[in-house]
Amino acid sequence: MSSRSLLWLVPCLVIWAVLPFVLPRNVADLLVFTGIYTVAGLGIGLLLGHCGIVNLAQATFYGLGAYASAYCTVMMGLPSIAGFIVGAVISMALAYVIGRPILRLTGYFLALGTLALSAIASALFFEWDWLTGGTLGIGGIPKLDLFGFVLDRPSRYYFFVWIVAFACMIVAHNLVDSRTGLMLRAMRDSSTAAASLSIDLQALRTKVFVVCALFGALAGSLFAHHVSFVSTQSFTVDRSISFLLIPVIGGATSIPGIVVGALFVTFLPELLSKLGDIHQILFGLALVAVVVLMPEGLVGAFGKLRTRLARRGGGHG
Amino acid sequence: MSLSSFIAKLAGATALVGLSAFSVQAQTSGEPVKIGAIVSVTGAGAGLGVPERNGLLLAEKDINAKGGIKGRPIKFIVEDDASNPDTALSKANDLIFGQKVQALLGPSLTASTVAVGGVTHANKVPQIAFTGIGPAVERERKCVAHVLPPQRLNATALLEYAKSIKATKVGVLHDAGYGNVVMAELKPLADKYGVKLVAVEKFEIGATDTTTQAAKVKASQPDAVFIIATSATPFRNVKQIQITQPVIAAIGSSSYEYVNAMGTAADNIVIPEFVVGEDPLPHQKDFVELYKKTYNSTPKNYEAAAWDAAHIIAAALNKAGADATGEKLCEAMKAPYTGVLASYNFSADDMTGIPISSFVFSKLVGGKYTRTPFRVAQ
Amino acid sequence: MTISLVLQALFAGVTNGIVYALVGMGLSAIFKGSRVINAMQGEFAVIGAMTTVLLLTKSGWPYAAAIAGGAVAGALVGAFIEVAFVRYMAAKNASEDSFLLLTIGLALSLSASILYFVGRDGHLLPPLGSEGVLIVMDAVIQFHALWLIAIGIGATLALRAFYHRTTIGLSMMAASIDADGAATTGINVARMRTFTFVLGGLLGAMGGILVTPLIGVDYQLGLNLTLKGFAAAVLGGLTNPLGAAVGGVTLGLVESLAIIGISSSYKDVVAFSVLIVIMILMPQGILGRAGRRGG
Repeated sequence: MSSRSLLWLVPCLVIWAVLPFVLPRNVADLLVFTGIYTVAGLGIGLLLGHCGIVNLAQATFYGLGAYASAYCTVMMGLPSIAGFIVGAVISMALAYVIGRPILRLTGYFLALGTLALSAIASALFFEWDWLTGGTLGIGGIPKLDLFGFVLDRPSRYYFFVWIVAFACMIVAHNLVDSRTGLMLRAMRDSSTAAASLSIDLQALRTKVFVVCALFGALAGSLFAHHVSFVSTQSFTVDRSISFLLIPVIGGATSIPGIVVGALFVTFLPELLSKLGDIHQILFGLALVAVVVLMPEGLVGAFGKLRTRLARRGGGHG
Repeated sequence: MSLSSFIAKLAGATALVGLSAFSVQAQTSGEPVKIGAIVSVTGAGAGLGVPERNGLLLAEKDINAKGGIKGRPIKFIVEDDASNPDTALSKANDLIFGQKVQALLGPSLTASTVAVGGVTHANKVPQIAFTGIGPAVERERKCVAHVLPPQRLNATALLEYAKSIKATKVGVLHDAGYGNVVMAELKPLADKYGVKLVAVEKFEIGATDTTTQAAKVKASQPDAVFIIATSATPFRNVKQIQITQPVIAAIGSSSYEYVNAMGTAADNIVIPEFVVGEDPLPHQKDFVELYKKTYNSTPKNYEAAAWDAAHIIAAALNKAGADATGEKLCEAMKAPYTGVLASYNFSADDMTGIPISSFVFSKLVGGKYTRTPFRVAQ
Repeated sequence: MTISLVLQALFAGVTNGIVYALVGMGLSAIFKGSRVINAMQGEFAVIGAMTTVLLLTKSGWPYAAAIAGGAVAGALVGAFIEVAFVRYMAAKNASEDSFLLLTIGLALSLSASILYFVGRDGHLLPPLGSEGVLIVMDAVIQFHALWLIAIGIGATLALRAFYHRTTIGLSMMAASIDADGAATTGINVARMRTFTFVLGGLLGAMGGILVTPLIGVDYQLGLNLTLKGFAAAVLGGLTNPLGAAVGGVTLGLVESLAIIGISSSYKDVVAFSVLIVIMILMPQGILGRAGRRGG
């Protein structure tokens, strides 16, 4: 990293660290949700931006992570880390097993396959209420306890969530910036050419799908410890659609884009709700506006703006 | 809708707001006592949240017209959780820490109530929820009261009526959400009432058709059919395949919106509920008249539940002091209370205390609600 | 398991299947003509049905005129979406995902608008023909459902003929397969795309109007119909409306047979699993290569 970007990094980090203490509690709360959705959205972004795959099953892995954390801590009395690990392992295993047959499909067939997976999982969450508590859910999930320091308020949990989010961003960045990333882009842009270079497309897509599931499960476990209560309503197809919005709005190929998308999905409904009963209509319209006016996502539009300003400045100089 | 009716709606709403503001000024003065409320005005729970909000605002007017809280006006700050527990949690944080409300009313849905309860319980903010009690963790939250019956009581009411009409074989058609919860309570209770569940068929929430499930129920030749749902579809399907046995529906299906959507199927259906606006019990008459006059429509259970919750918290504040919060307000809230919907006792184990005798059994006849004389003796 | 029960399941399965087929055909038509996946196809159904309800009950129009009004409403909204949004985005070479997001945003706005302006009531329409039913060995099917099935089949055949025998239909296919080539033969590609959306809106509205006498229409109906219609369309190969019809009926039958054969609790699990299996075994859609090519 150049010293110039390091110079930017320090004030950004300071601002990030100070935010939960200067902002009102409910805004800090929303920032925690932003962090959680960033983790989930990173996975979708990898699949969408670099593999061209629309994954509508993220709510399933999110739910698995959340229920694993809930079940392990509340029903079995295990330490919280067990929930994280169990959730992650189950999600990755499921992604691998289901991924191998489903990822052979392409385009909208694959999207429908993931949608079907989401619907099946949602139905099972409702049906197997001895495991999930059904609509009544599982409540009383304890807050995270780091060696005696209890993360019981948004201003504390914020740091934990965002550190996990940063870690995931680094993993995603390494994936994209590596040889694997090159292969992914080759596969996205021209799968026949990639195959002719003996790139194992199937194995590659499965690998990214499993990483996406891992991120989904992590987000789910973080969610469970934040809200202290999980129920089937949080893991329906609607949730999968929200997760899909994140990379598309922000700009699927960039990691800051995911953060912007997560901010959009978390804060905009909250801001709009101040305008009364029409807030849901406005959210839909805002979505339409972003998509129509900024086809490369918010980050892409910002980039274009910067280029245009730079060009104007350069013209003078 | 046509432009003129839209304008009329807008005018009516504006008039109500103006009237409310005026009446607050007329009888009370001083710093308003702020109480938060979270209801589902949009999303799937709108069928609950909109009537609840109406009941709340009417109660606000009523309380202030009668002197408010020791002369100070009461103000309900109503937020919409869009039927989403995550949003409910954020709104609760805002109301409690941002707006500094002394108590919280709502939410409308069980999942939101449990999510919000985590915050109100941890911060000792008294809460009166518009739901029946949910998972086990709620029993530890001694300051979260509920003004709608627990599902166990709903199941009991269904079975009491089945017993009264000598139905020993019952077929059940229920949805995967609300229905599952009621069924979990109904199954172990059925034997006590001499009822055998000869068919139990499930359909998913938002199902567009339940004909095949209804056919399975019909094939089991029951004496009566229970429908536990929050949609009109199973009722239509049941009548379409010509099930002639009496239908007993859970309270979640009881609203004018669902009855309209049932069309000709809204006939020969008995519902254990609490408020039959067409034929109210003596202690409900005043509320029903006032509601009809203000909103030009007939109230039912959710409006009454919200009205009761508002009056309960107002009574508690009047007893404990207009600035009371926390434990003190919670204790004052716990006194037994006879409301429009039902009689309550929040010290009871289910944080509700509604007795089975509070139930009123309505019957849909030709699309209209009528009140049957049947009551369960306590 | 009696014959009567199986017959009832078949009746329900085919009726639901045709409903899914109508939604799926509209989705298929739009995708065929513009490569846009229309996530608001179900909302067209709601728009058509709600318009008919309002014209019938609030404005007192005769039923036939109200139905026509509803269909026109669907067509007009389709045209509006194409002209206002899709055309602009296509000129900027927006990605397929952006179009999907556009229609998702529109679906959310429309559903919320209906809740806001019309309310949370469910509304019914009078059935076609009479209120009566047909009873075969104790299994019941409404006359309206029979009309629904007949009209659905008719629409499928008409659509097929439209695409293969009329100039406009052939032009629409040409414009979507190769826009530049079509333009050189004098086909107005942009106008063809508008017609595509008009057709999709019309089909969606029709589906909504036909299904409302059976189950009623409310602000939440759209999303459920879209999901089922999407499944029907994809099963059929996505560019073949006939395939969407076959896909829809397949889905409807799988659902109702799962209910009586396995259990109603696992209906969705079974139906969607079968969906996945079909997609994996028949990667070209149920109608095979013909499905891919467009029939």
